[in-house]
Amino acid sequence: MVPGFGGSTLRIDLSGGTVTRAPLDPAFARAWLGGRGYVDKIVYDEVPRDADPLGPENRLVVTPGVFSGHFAPSGSKCCFGAVSPLTNGAGDSTVGGHFGPELKFAGYDLLVFEGIATTPTYLFIDDDRVELRDAAAYWGHGTMDAERMLKEDLGEDVEIACIGPAGENLVSFACIGHDYGRQAGRCGIGAVMGSKRLKAIVVRGTKALPVHDLPALKASTMEIMKRTAQHPNMAPWQKYGTAMFIGWSNEHGVYPAHNFQTTYFERHPGIDGQTLVDRLLVSHKACFGCWMNCGKYSRASLPGREAVYVEGPEYETGALCGGNCGFDQIEQVAYVNWLFDRAGIDTMTGGGMAAFAMECYEKGLITRDRLEGHEMRWGSIEDLEHFVDMLVERRGIGDAFARGYASAAAQIGGGAERLACQVKGQGMSGYDGRPAPGMLLSYMTADIGAHHNRSWTITMDEDLGKNVLTGKAKVVVHLQHIRPFFDTVSCCRLFWGEVDVSDEEHIAAIRMMTGWHDLTLEEILLLSERVWNINRAHYLERNGGPGRRFDYPNARFYEEEVPTGPSQGARLTLEDLDLMLDEYYAARGWGKDGNPSREVLLDLGLDTCVANLEREGLLGTLTEPLPPVRGERYKPKAF
Amino acid sequence: MSVKIQVTPERCTGCRLCRQICTIEKFGETNPRRSLLRIEALFPAPGRYVPHVCDQCGACADACPNGAISPQEDGVYVVDDELCTQCGACFDECPEEVLMEGADEVPYKCDYCWACTEVCNTGALVRAE
Amino acid sequence: MIAVTIKAGGLLTDYLRPDADAYSRRVEARDGETLRQILEAIGVPPGHVAVATANGGKIALDYAPRDGDEITLLPPVQGG
Repeated sequence: MVPGFGGSTLRIDLSGGTVTRAPLDPAFARAWLGGRGYVDKIVYDEVPRDADPLGPENRLVVTPGVFSGHFAPSGSKCCFGAVSPLTNGAGDSTVGGHFGPELKFAGYDLLVFEGIATTPTYLFIDDDRVELRDAAAYWGHGTMDAERMLKEDLGEDVEIACIGPAGENLVSFACIGHDYGRQAGRCGIGAVMGSKRLKAIVVRGTKALPVHDLPALKASTMEIMKRTAQHPNMAPWQKYGTAMFIGWSNEHGVYPAHNFQTTYFERHPGIDGQTLVDRLLVSHKACFGCWMNCGKYSRASLPGREAVYVEGPEYETGALCGGNCGFDQIEQVAYVNWLFDRAGIDTMTGGGMAAFAMECYEKGLITRDRLEGHEMRWGSIEDLEHFVDMLVERRGIGDAFARGYASAAAQIGGGAERLACQVKGQGMSGYDGRPAPGMLLSYMTADIGAHHNRSWTITMDEDLGKNVLTGKAKVVVHLQHIRPFFDTVSCCRLFWGEVDVSDEEHIAAIRMMTGWHDLTLEEILLLSERVWNINRAHYLERNGGPGRRFDYPNARFYEEEVPTGPSQGARLTLEDLDLMLDEYYAARGWGKDGNPSREVLLDLGLDTCVANLEREGLLGTLTEPLPPVRGERYKPKAF
Repeated sequence: MSVKIQVTPERCTGCRLCRQICTIEKFGETNPRRSLLRIEALFPAPGRYVPHVCDQCGACADACPNGAISPQEDGVYVVDDELCTQCGACFDECPEEVLMEGADEVPYKCDYCWACTEVCNTGALVRAE
Repeated sequence: MIAVTIKAGGLLTDYLRPDADAYSRRVEARDGETLRQILEAIGVPPGHVAVATANGGKIALDYAPRDGDEITLLPPVQGG
């Protein structure tokens, strides 16, 4: 029994209808920590390489992580992972809110689902009582409705993670919803849940969470609370949340407009954080134990439609469903946010897909006859509504879109794949990498495709030079180790990133929770690197090699110049991308083909990966000695 | 009544720091389920939180047949667990539904230790005298 | 002349030193000067400011502060 953790794990075989409890193995807990660590290790070990991500052999892994539930800066998160139907590699997504903590209070650190239920099912956890129950009454309902119905039936005091019709219908970028507006958004984990006919996980927990040294943790957290409450960044974050950066993103010319055709959206003031606060805000909404309360709960009315309540729009939604789709009114963006949330669709890939469809329509690559007589115009709510309908119900070309970018592009034809803004099938986050090459490299090399949470470099790109291609790769590598730390311990990065709570303070908190006095940052960074390489090996084992061929974005990003705005003229070539990849692979100890080398895998203790890759001829060859430490922390020179 | 916890519901963000600190202070454990105040969540509409705290109304004391709940000088009602016979009459009378039944079937109630007001960052719960 | 308090945390803090007290620094400026001009005068690159607020409300860099304003500067979000 490790203090800081809930103590138990559950294995749920949905085909057989059985639930098996086991204690959390302390050695496993220390080796893999939790969150992404558990997800990536378990799917690598257990999911056959030819298993269909939407089939019975895929695992759905749910894990709250060590921070969740504790009195500590933002211990709120829960990680959901599986082999992703979107990328065909290991995928994970983390949600805030209150679900992770409730799992901890019920005594659980890990749920692993396998198989497929014969009928719609939900898992009900009430401390030690764990039951698979009939979900027929909830199947087909949107995420917010399903949550409300389950709470009416089971009590207001439960926490719920559930899918909407998109997950039920296996849309490859379906998400998992929680607490009326938080999501585990990326990688299509909602579709994995839907493929298992698992509508929801409902949990009630009433146990005390074991803590190694609660008085010390309490004192430390109170000190951090008092200090950060006075930090200059705290008040704006509490008031505006992530949406306040819409203006900055535009002014710096990295904002996606009209499917990343350009990087400046003139009408952005209509959809930024101030406008949200002025026109939509109902409440500030916090995750468990968090005093930054960056969540914004909004009420939005569009003419001719009933008012909707939605959490957001957050920055990414304000970008990818905002200027990216040509919407210039915050009410419109909030409504689109609500449409996707209700259906259980990632607003990021959802917004990206919609924008892709809009550009294809504009260019005549898709015509009305393929849209059931409808159009798909920039900034049209009714067109987007209809598109989402076709997508969720998989009608006509909606089915191709539901399968993902490659499938949609193949159906559309005419070179549409150039316009599909993604890497490895994951829709690109709301920043354009042409004026920020380090960011583009981050998208190209992230294990889960074009997502920014692994490595975010826009500030460094500006600092070192927007045209500079070299010297950034090793920083990307380091960021890919430090940022996932937060995903393994299930803690929000904002206290670290925005109000100066240090790495060391987070590690100290974990020591107080667990009693792991010898835990160091170095150990955690090594774990992150280990997990990174496991995911790369997993990707190659599932998709073949060489790895390099998967690490490119669509051609827009190496053939087109940014036409307007503050980054007008920004342009990268394929040679530029190759230069960055070469430097990246060398920094990682991978071969020029993007395959991990025997040396780096052995250095990380990943003998199984060596054996697996060697058998398939997928080991990379080093042409220089392995760097003893991979990745370098960035010290801002200008700041 | 010389002291109270002033509640301004519009400021509540649902963070539950109050519930966390309550059980840490009163029971030495991390277990919001045992806390002596509760946060009502009105979602999806109207989209607000409403903290419910003990306002020392005395309804629980009135309901007690054994005089086990009584007010101190500052107006704060406290439970004498030696006088309590675990009859359970008090729980249903609490208008805020914040009287908690312990494992020993004795009621636990808020005694204005003020810890919740110290962690509430928004001013939803404020110590007032 | 007017006097305003400028506060900045995170990556911007260093620009306010050595005159800054923890996160804030009192700055004098001419009436009608914009925040952008004031920042340039005290050596804070306006381009490094992602969001600025005056007395809690968001402002643009061409805002002209008034005497006694409390200005907060945020660096760019550290991403995602």
